[in-house]
Amino acid sequence: MTARTAARIPAVAIAILAIVIGVMPLFFNCQYDGKTLVLANGREVPMKCYWTARAALAVAVPLLAVGLLMAFSRRAETLRALGILGAILGVMAILLPTLLIGVCQHAGASCSLVMKPTLVLAGILAIGVSLAGVAVSGRREEQTP
Amino acid sequence: MTLFRLAWKNVVGSAFRSWVVYLCVLLVTGLLFTSVLLIGGTRDSLRLIQQRLGADVVVVPEGTEAGVESALLMGRPVKAWMPRENEDKIAHVPGVREVSPQLYLASLANAPCCTAEMLVMAFDPQTDFTLTPWLRQHLGHGLSAGEAIGGSDVFVPYGEEHLRIYGSEIDLVGSLERTGTGLDTALFLTFETAYQVAEHSRTEAIRPLEIPPESISAALVRIEPEADPRVIALQISHEVTKVTAIPASGLFQTFRRQIDGLLRSMLTLLGAASALSLAIVGLVFSMAVNERRREIGVVRALGATQGEVLRTLLAEALMLALGGGASGILLAALVLYLFRDLIVVSLAMPFLFPALPLLVALVGGGLVAGLAGVGLAVLFPVVRASRLDPAVAMREQ
Repeated sequence: MTARTAARIPAVAIAILAIVIGVMPLFFNCQYDGKTLVLANGREVPMKCYWTARAALAVAVPLLAVGLLMAFSRRAETLRALGILGAILGVMAILLPTLLIGVCQHAGASCSLVMKPTLVLAGILAIGVSLAGVAVSGRREEQTP
Repeated sequence: MTLFRLAWKNVVGSAFRSWVVYLCVLLVTGLLFTSVLLIGGTRDSLRLIQQRLGADVVVVPEGTEAGVESALLMGRPVKAWMPRENEDKIAHVPGVREVSPQLYLASLANAPCCTAEMLVMAFDPQTDFTLTPWLRQHLGHGLSAGEAIGGSDVFVPYGEEHLRIYGSEIDLVGSLERTGTGLDTALFLTFETAYQVAEHSRTEAIRPLEIPPESISAALVRIEPEADPRVIALQISHEVTKVTAIPASGLFQTFRRQIDGLLRSMLTLLGAASALSLAIVGLVFSMAVNERRREIGVVRALGATQGEVLRTLLAEALMLALGGGASGILLAALVLYLFRDLIVVSLAMPFLFPALPLLVALVGGGLVAGLAGVGLAVLFPVVRASRLDPAVAMREQ
C-alpha cells in the first residue's frame, strides 16, 4: 500500500462521515415525525432538534469538502491543516446536539434516540480519522527526501 | 534497533497484512464485547428491577402476568384489576409479613391534558415498602397529595412548572436512578393523588381516568425470613381466588428465556465469526512470513537467533492484536453507550450499561481474549519461520 493510498483512506472515511452527519439528522428529528411546539397563540414552531439538524448540515458540507480536498492533496502541510480542520468540525458535530442547540428532552423521541447518538459517534470518529490523517501526513513528510 | 522498533517497522512496512489482521481482531473483540455487554446489561437490569420492587412475591390478577411484567420492564400500560379485599386475604396467609397494594394506570398520548404518555404507578404510603424507604432517605419525607416522583426519563417540560396528568398539575419532587427498564419512564404517586386525579379528570381531561372502585392492580408481598417464597406463592394462589402469585425469582421468566435464546444465537454467531477471523489472521500471517523467508534468512545470517526472530514476529502480531482489540472494544462500548436507549426501544428488552469497575474488567478481559486468540492463530507460522535454515532461505527465489 503506497503512502498516497494510505492518505486517501482517512479522506474517504471523512467524506462518508460528513454525509452521515448531514443526512441522518434530516430524517430523525421531531419536525420530520410531524411533531411541533404549539405556542399559546396556537402557532406551531419547530422543536430545537430541527435546528440541530439544519446546523449539522452546515457542519457536514465543510467536512465533506475537507474529505475531498484531502483525497486530492499531495503536500504534507495541506494534509495536516485539513486534518486539523476535520477534527474541529468533528468537535462541532458533537457540540451541536449536546451543548450548543441540543435535542428534545423526551427520551423516546427519534432525535434523542437516533440523531444525537449518531452525531456524537460520527463526530468522535471524524476527530479520530482526521487526527489519523494528520499522522499519515507526518509520515509522508518523513519519507520525502 | 530495539525489538519493538523492528516489529513496528515491519507492521508499517506491510500495510495490507497489518490492515487485514487489525480489522479481523477489531471484528472479533468488538463482537465479543458487544455480546457480553448486551447480555450482562440485560441481566443487570432485570436484577435491579427486582431489587427496586423489593418484594418476595408479586400477586397479580389471573391472566395478567405477562401484561404486568411488560409494564414493569417496558413501561407498557396494562389493565389489571382485582378486588382490594384480596389484600386482607393475602395478609392472612401464614408466612406473609407485609402486603402493599399498587395501581397501574396510564396517562394519555398526544393529549393536551397530559404532558406525555407514561405508566403511572400508585402506591399506598401506609403499607408501601418499595418507594417509601427511598423517599425517606432522599427527600426526608413521604409524598404529599399532588406530588410524584419519576423514573430517570421523566421530566417537567421546558417552560412549565408542573407535570400535567389528566388535566391535574403534579409536582415532580424527585427522580429515581436509571434501571434501563420501563420504570425509567414511569411516574409514582400515592393512592390519594391517583384518586384526586381521577376525580379531576372528569371535568379537565379529554377522557376521564377510570379506576374501578375498591380495586387494585397488584399486591407486593414480603414474607417472614424463614419462609420459602415459592411455597408462600403457592399458598396465596390456593387461598385467594382468581390471582396468580409469582415468587420474585420467577418474575420475568419469559424475558429470561428470550435472553437465553439470544445468548445461544450470539454465541453461535460469535464462535463462527471468531473462528473465521482467526483463520484469516493465521493465513495472512503465514503468507506474509512465506514472502519474507529470504529476509528472515538474511537476518538469521547476520546473527539473529531463532528466539529473536520468533519474538520479533510475535511482537508484530501482538501489536496488531492490541491495536485491533482496543479499537474494537472502544468502538463497541461507544456504540452501545450512545445507542443504549435505542437498543431498549428497538429490541424491546431492558438494558443497563455496566458500572465503571465492571466495564474496566470487561475491557481487560476482551483485550486478553484478543491477544490470546491472535497469539494462538500466528503461533504455527511464526515458529516455522523462526526455525528456517538461513542458507536454504537465502537461496530461495
